[in-house]
Amino acid sequence: MVSPLIQVAAGACALALATACAGGSRGDARPTIAPPSSSSQPPALATASQPPALATASHPPVHAGFHFTDVALEAGLTRVVRAGRPSKDHLLDSAGTGAGWIDYDRDGNLDAYIVNGWRLSGSTILEKGPNALYRNRGDGTFEDVTERARVGGEGRWGSGVTVADYDNDGWPDMLVTNFGPNVLYRNRGDGTFENVAARAGVEAPGWNTGAAFLDADGDGDLDLYVAAYIDCTLEEVLKAVPTLNWKGVDKVATGPFGLAGAPDHFFLSDGRGGFTDATVEAGLQDRTLGYGFGVRAADFDRDGDSDIYVANDSDANYLYRNDGTGHFQDVGLWSGAAFDSHGAAQAGMGVAVGDYQGDGLLDILVTNFSEDFCTLRRGDGQGFFEDVSESSGVGPPTFTSLSWGTVMADLDDDGDLDIAIANGHIYPQVDRHPEFGLHYAQRNLLLANTGDGRFVDVTASAGPGFALVQPSRGLAAGDYDNDGDLDLLITNLEAPPNLLRNDSARGSWLTVSLVVPPGGRTPIGATVVVEAGGRRQIQDLATGGSYMSSHDPRLHFGLGSSGVADRIEVTWPGGARQVLTAIPANQRLTISRAQLDVAGPGR
Amino acid sequence: MTRPRVLVSVAGVMAFLTIPTPAQSTPGQPASTPPEMTATYNSLADGILALRRSESNLVKAILASTYGNAEATLEKARARIESKKDARAAMEKLAAFVAQLGNEGDATVAGIRKRLLEGGHHHNSAAEQQGVYDEGFVVVTRVARKAFLDLAGRIGKLALAPDLAALNAEWQSVVKQYDAVKSEAGH
Repeated sequence: MVSPLIQVAAGACALALATACAGGSRGDARPTIAPPSSSSQPPALATASQPPALATASHPPVHAGFHFTDVALEAGLTRVVRAGRPSKDHLLDSAGTGAGWIDYDRDGNLDAYIVNGWRLSGSTILEKGPNALYRNRGDGTFEDVTERARVGGEGRWGSGVTVADYDNDGWPDMLVTNFGPNVLYRNRGDGTFENVAARAGVEAPGWNTGAAFLDADGDGDLDLYVAAYIDCTLEEVLKAVPTLNWKGVDKVATGPFGLAGAPDHFFLSDGRGGFTDATVEAGLQDRTLGYGFGVRAADFDRDGDSDIYVANDSDANYLYRNDGTGHFQDVGLWSGAAFDSHGAAQAGMGVAVGDYQGDGLLDILVTNFSEDFCTLRRGDGQGFFEDVSESSGVGPPTFTSLSWGTVMADLDDDGDLDIAIANGHIYPQVDRHPEFGLHYAQRNLLLANTGDGRFVDVTASAGPGFALVQPSRGLAAGDYDNDGDLDLLITNLEAPPNLLRNDSARGSWLTVSLVVPPGGRTPIGATVVVEAGGRRQIQDLATGGSYMSSHDPRLHFGLGSSGVADRIEVTWPGGARQVLTAIPANQRLTISRAQLDVAGPGR
Repeated sequence: MTRPRVLVSVAGVMAFLTIPTPAQSTPGQPASTPPEMTATYNSLADGILALRRSESNLVKAILASTYGNAEATLEKARARIESKKDARAAMEKLAAFVAQLGNEGDATVAGIRKRLLEGGHHHNSAAEQQGVYDEGFVVVTRVARKAFLDLAGRIGKLALAPDLAALNAEWQSVVKQYDAVKSEAGH
């Protein structure tokens, strides 16, 4: 029998709620989504079982000179990244980790850092995978110096790494975000690091993901934004079972919808190595509790301060505009930065920023979930963006794959920015259903810039490095062999990383390092404009980006057939400008704010 | 990483209280769903439907409140433009309110709404094209949402170079769109 008491209680509850709202006007049943009208229809898109024709199908092959080779194992990068259970019962099992490039010993060679997760069997913890720091010997090989450098990750389930000299002592440090308290590895300058996160006040326990250092308030030191994903406990992770009905054919890990988001944090530096959580004071309170992943700071509206872009999974992305004093306002909803061209939130994972058109304005690429486009947003330099995923050619080849780490960089040194994307599905169960045309392990993507504002998929002709099929996540670009092109460090689940050595046919190049004397104002946020061969390129010095990963801290410019950069203009944070002229190509250039410490003529 | 969890499920309690009664069958007829469970489900359905109406009414109230805020902000923006004062902040605020019309509320509402969605990555461009992608909006249709967001973007851009005639034209479109939403929602 039904309890009369329960009947009454339920009815009263419903009645009370019904009449309490909006004057009790007679409501409607929850409406269904309106049928599409011809005027609002997005362009024809592919279905899951019918992937769109690749852009290469309608374009002549271009940039056939791309060639990448995986040299990770022979170079000594062997650390296996642990990732929960094979069946990926919880999203933490499949989120993966990031990687970063850091010249921790300042010998001029990029060293590699790999963040690691845990390995589980059911609810049992089998292994807490240690992070790995690999010292670059300068001969194309690396040595594992993790223990010597004391950067194993403190036994935590790692997420990502962000590299910056947060204390401005001249030595690059690492913030390692975790499922759990963050680790801030301060570089002691003697080959070792110490975890100062608690002392610095940036531990912020939670599921932390992407992060970026930026000088938010323009006082010369680096502040910190840390994104967070889902509010959950380790116990919930360990007990998780797949319960989400996937396409009516299988059960997979649930979320993120239906799970509580975790709040992002903003830490204001005191200039002495300490931070204060100033999230609310800075206007960065995460009121949506977006499922945050990728973070990138940049001056999108060219007003001289650093704004913050956050890629959220399944929620509106954030674009926090800085008013110049370190106070922010989320303008994403009305600036074209939050949703796709149809007004829908996407499952944002990674983010890349660059000027893909060569118009001097920063654009944003966000990687998204499977069966959805990666979204390229063209910036107008005033803080507004237009979704050009379709017209740029980025959309179709990125539709089927589930995309994570990414970079917009000139990978063949021809003077424009190409796009590399790390891919891999989160549900291993998709392999049991080939009818959908999806795969757990996926090929990464290489999109070549045709020089006219469009991209073509050149993955198939980009060498054996792009023929690999793996569940990839993090991606960090860097010229580890100092040969003038950018190589790609990519993390994979339950596998060692890939180091895709760039052996592409390429043009001239220039690598620019911006340095300040110890104690000087941080160079993060500076912009460099290089003019060569009638082309004008702009890049900004930033941290963060990609998917929980850190790119080469040096700026890399491809110069095409030009043997000289006609003009280089550096705009340092605060507005000071430095101009160099007639700089020969094919060199690593160091530009100091203190003095024109330039290798080459044209002081 | 611990947080208190209070899980109170009226439906769960109701279901629990009805379990003891075993399935009964009339002689000569196959066993069927116990009548008391059917009755419980019927009561539960009444409650669910009432709650849905409540949600709809609440969202309409949120929209009305947002629209009122937008109107007030519009007047401020107009006044500042007419008096040749800096109107950018007011116009950006107006843009934010118009965007909120498309989102059926502000960021805090968005944070609540996603708790009501089924688990999983819902976004799927193919499904979006087919109109079956559900972000959980109650009153504002996908088409209307897109229209509001576009209008918000245009007003936001207009804030860089405020122009009264252009602002009035955009606002007329907002009014028209809002009236359409109200009409479709049975206001």
